Amino acid sequence: MLRPVHRDASVPEPASEAQTILSVQDLCHGFTVNGKAVPVFQGVSLDIAQGEFLGVLGPSGCGKSTLLQIIAGLLPSVSGRVMFEGHPIVAPPEDMVYLFQQYNKSLLPWRSTKANVGFALEGRGLSRQEKNERCLEYLRIVGLADFADHFPWQLSGGMQQRVAIARALAANPKVLLMDEPFSAVDALTRLELQTLVLDVWAKSKLTIVMVTHDVDEAVFMADRIAMLGERPSSVATVVETGLPRPRDPISTRELPRFLKLRHSLLNMLLKRPNEDSPQRPPQDFGHA
Amino acid sequence: MRKFPLGLASCVAVLAIWQIVSGMKWVNPALLPPPSRVGPAVWDILTTGSIIDPLKQTLSLLAAGYCIGCVLAIGLGLAMGINRHVYNMFEPIVELLRPLPKPALVPPLFLFLGIGIATKITIVALAAFFPVLINTVQGVRSVDPVLLNTARTFRRSMPATMIYVILPAALPMIVTGMRVSLGLSLTLVILAEMLVGSTGIGFLILDMQRSFAVTDMLAWVFILGVIGVVLNGAFETLERMSLHWRSK
Repeated sequence: MLRPVHRDASVPEPASEAQTILSVQDLCHGFTVNGKAVPVFQGVSLDIAQGEFLGVLGPSGCGKSTLLQIIAGLLPSVSGRVMFEGHPIVAPPEDMVYLFQQYNKSLLPWRSTKANVGFALEGRGLSRQEKNERCLEYLRIVGLADFADHFPWQLSGGMQQRVAIARALAANPKVLLMDEPFSAVDALTRLELQTLVLDVWAKSKLTIVMVTHDVDEAVFMADRIAMLGERPSSVATVVETGLPRPRDPISTRELPRFLKLRHSLLNMLLKRPNEDSPQRPPQDFGHA
Repeated sequence: MRKFPLGLASCVAVLAIWQIVSGMKWVNPALLPPPSRVGPAVWDILTTGSIIDPLKQTLSLLAAGYCIGCVLAIGLGLAMGINRHVYNMFEPIVELLRPLPKPALVPPLFLFLGIGIATKITIVALAAFFPVLINTVQGVRSVDPVLLNTARTFRRSMPATMIYVILPAALPMIVTGMRVSLGLSLTLVILAEMLVGSTGIGFLILDMQRSFAVTDMLAWVFILGVIGVVLNGAFETLERMSLHWRSK
């Protein structure tokens, strides 16, 4: 079930006043090639507030996805730790779900849409009827109620990712981790899915961490954006987007603030001199 | 659908050539009776009910050996596919035994299991075992890591992941191995019956050759061929049913 809350539609709550739900502390990761240690990221620290939508941006190869997998407990870190509600993460924790970029590999191809959503609910002692109802409820939320008995191969890419989103939501997590969730769908579908996720998020207490390489997407969706630097990377900067909610796929993207943010973030990613940007984003992380 | 009449035509052509070659006495009809004599012999076997006992013998031996072989192979294959240590432990012995032509194991098996049903079932099970084992290991190892991580992020237990993710994902490969095994098993059933038997279709074929009942011998060979086709067809149907979710 979605947890209903009253979110202030216009003003995003300042992260510093909310409770920290996830705390990434001095995280390092790397691998060894021919006995030589190759660091991927070093000393990544981030605090994520309860109910926040955090975007993680960075150049390709900076370890964004790896970072997210460590947060999810899917990968061990080399050093540092991630605290989730005060407990260090050592394995995939309850109340946290990872949404994969490759929806086509993440869905069970031998299961119908409904049974795929059901995968998140099995082993939890729910009755068959409860499970069925919840599957249909979440399929309704993502607009696929009429496709409950279809198999993944009968659905378009965008619809498959909707199923994956429904399945992630059905697990009723407190934190949803999304790894470039819309990068494999066409541009129009991407806009639809972004709005869908924002709607679901606005109606719940969900905390979302989204890794993306798309500056536009990060600015459009997130409350704050953490930008990772070049390898070996760490958090180069954190920006509050401060854009009003609910966000509109067209008009939000035309706001001066949106354009300014997009401009300065792209400047940083492309490593251009930033002199035309009126204010550099704050160098340190606000609410920690 | 277009292929079928053509295939039928080639069958008819072979029968016609056989009939001519034998009927014109180009080969000794005592060694190769024409289809016009083998056909009625097949009909006799079917209608007098003399097919029932040998068929029952052969198929039950096939079923027993094949099922034992498949179950053991899938069990070990899953363990080897999931656990690196189990894999390392069994891989050398599997690679040693796999290429070995299984009929070569019949004489040593006589020594341990005696000339009887135990040897026959064992050899059929061995024939079924390896293709299924290899494909199961491959199938399990090629399960996409994203799928396994999906199971992990939803906190599914290891047994649940096994039953609901790994086994279904590996099933197409396993079934392919089982199809290869079915042909091999039938071959070994017939061989075992020829070497060890006193019953079954394999024994009958050999027995009739020895007693020079060439027409009946060919009739049984023909029946055996049909059994092969029917088994393969049944297997394909089963395959389609169990893998219905695959697109087209």
